[in-house]
Amino acid sequence: MLEIKNISKVYGKGTAKVVALNNVSLLVNDGDFIAVMGPSGSGKSTLLNIIGGLDHISSGEVILDGKRIDSLDENALVDIRRGKIAYVFQQYHLISSLTALENVLLPLTFCGANKKDQKALDILKRVRLEKRAEHKPSQLSGGEQQRVAIARALANDPSLILADEPTGNMDRKTGKEILALFEQLNREGRSIVMVTHDPEIAGYAKEIVVLQDGQIVDKINQEGGNKC
Amino acid sequence: MKLYQLVVKDVTRRKKRVLYASLGVVIGITTIIAVLTIALAGQTNIYGQLEKYGANLIVMPAISDIDIGLGGLSLGTLAVGENYISEDKLPEIRQIADGKIREALNIEDEGDIATIAPKLYMNTKVNGTSVIVVGVDPQEERQLKIWWRVSQGKYLEAPDEALVGAIAAELLRLNVGDKITLNGREVTIAGILEETGSNEDYQVFVPIETAQEAFDKEGLVSSIDIRALCNACPTSDIASAINENMPGVRAVAVKQIAETEMGMLEKVSKFLFALAAITLAVGCFGVVNTMTTSVHERIKDIGIMKAVGASRNQIMKIFFYEAIIVGVAGGLLGYVAGTLLAYIVGPLIFGGVAVTYVPQYFLPSLALATFIAVIASVYPAFRASKIKVADSFRSL
Repeated sequence: MLEIKNISKVYGKGTAKVVALNNVSLLVNDGDFIAVMGPSGSGKSTLLNIIGGLDHISSGEVILDGKRIDSLDENALVDIRRGKIAYVFQQYHLISSLTALENVLLPLTFCGANKKDQKALDILKRVRLEKRAEHKPSQLSGGEQQRVAIARALANDPSLILADEPTGNMDRKTGKEILALFEQLNREGRSIVMVTHDPEIAGYAKEIVVLQDGQIVDKINQEGGNKC
Repeated sequence: MKLYQLVVKDVTRRKKRVLYASLGVVIGITTIIAVLTIALAGQTNIYGQLEKYGANLIVMPAISDIDIGLGGLSLGTLAVGENYISEDKLPEIRQIADGKIREALNIEDEGDIATIAPKLYMNTKVNGTSVIVVGVDPQEERQLKIWWRVSQGKYLEAPDEALVGAIAAELLRLNVGDKITLNGREVTIAGILEETGSNEDYQVFVPIETAQEAFDKEGLVSSIDIRALCNACPTSDIASAINENMPGVRAVAVKQIAETEMGMLEKVSKFLFALAAITLAVGCFGVVNTMTTSVHERIKDIGIMKAVGASRNQIMKIFFYEAIIVGVAGGLLGYVAGTLLAYIVGPLIFGGVAVTYVPQYFLPSLALATFIAVIASVYPAFRASKIKVADSFRSL
């Protein structure tokens, strides 16, 4: 379970001050599938980065499984990235000099795991890319690259997956395939927080949070009507 | 897959970049290896020449020129002393030389130790051509001139025989068995020497007694060569003992002559080595530069690796492993290039000296190159480890 309490994020100082997030609170329960929506510059990506400990907050608290993680140092954050939280990015962010299989192996390598090629292959099989294991990212289509990125996110068996516009660079059909994959992962009990500006994509989530000018303006529960 | 395997895979797919990064180290190691190899070849060359010279010490008559003047008016110079050394002094010289060697090596052997070869040089005409006749002690001379090879005939045995240098034999058209007259005394050519490349090639050798008789120099020698037979022998001590105890002669250790030449070589080597060290230092900055560029180019990759669980230490390790690969590649290329450079430049500096590659320099050059590459990577690696994930993606 992840809880965000009254967080604010301010970039810059004085007249150049930009308030990216203003007193935002959010609860991500185990098994949730939340879509964060809003126009560009509304603070969606900043919110996601803060949830995952990729960015620091100006005030407030981030609590993961009962422990504050907003003030953790690098080494403690490394532990969280190695087990509980994984990311999927709009730009896929695969390492271009490594093959699909090696990209999936990467988190296992940093964990100190050795001889896990079979495990990585199994995960690639889950995203139906076992035949592309030896391909470099440049030899894969956008949808395939994103599936490799999802496989990489699954390598350390995380309980929370954070996805920043995961279908932003794809056509509608490929995007739906990726979303189907996310739904499946959610059914396995993994929580998912996904940023998107596409209402159709957001429709796959169980809950939609709408951000505007750094504040949550609406929360829509798609399973049982509007919560607010 | 282990971390180093990841780096190796990555590096083998970016070979050009790695070679480019190692260029600074390559240039530095190349100059150092070239300088060391050439200096060693020069040194070996000088030692080789000394070895060929045979004698460790030369004893000559003490002749000194004294300026004669009256007030400010010069009246020329007057040579004082003898042109020859008396044969009677040979036993005393042997006693001093052997005594010093025994002392130095701590041996009690009573027999003769040093090779003491007296010589009498005479200028004469054979068949109308001017040649230098050298009277030698055949046995001692043979021990001194270990490189002598008789190409035709045999070595000196009897008093009325002569041994002719290769070029002298050619110039005088002499063959084994021919008879020549030296100042009225007839001798038979017993043998002709192989060419040695020194002035011996122009000389005619006869037993010293024969030369003394022919030129009326009974009991006299021109100079005495002494070979101490060991590298550690105290030749300078022997020389100064002879100079102190025996008036009328002057002993010079060949080492002293060699040291002057070596000293020069050493100065040149030091200068070149300093240049090489500066090149290496510049190369070091080159490595810092390419490593920093590498960090910059890979900010995104570093961010990704951190996002999927790489710790700061692991990021630093990745750059250090890469530095080791750059260093080993640089050391290897530098050793090969430096040796090739020495082969090309060495003969130009030392006039035809044979340069040989030095396998002992191989591992040190790898080690030095790796050390430099790793040191040069400390700061870039540290910077890489400090990159924040969010920043790395924002900068794209």
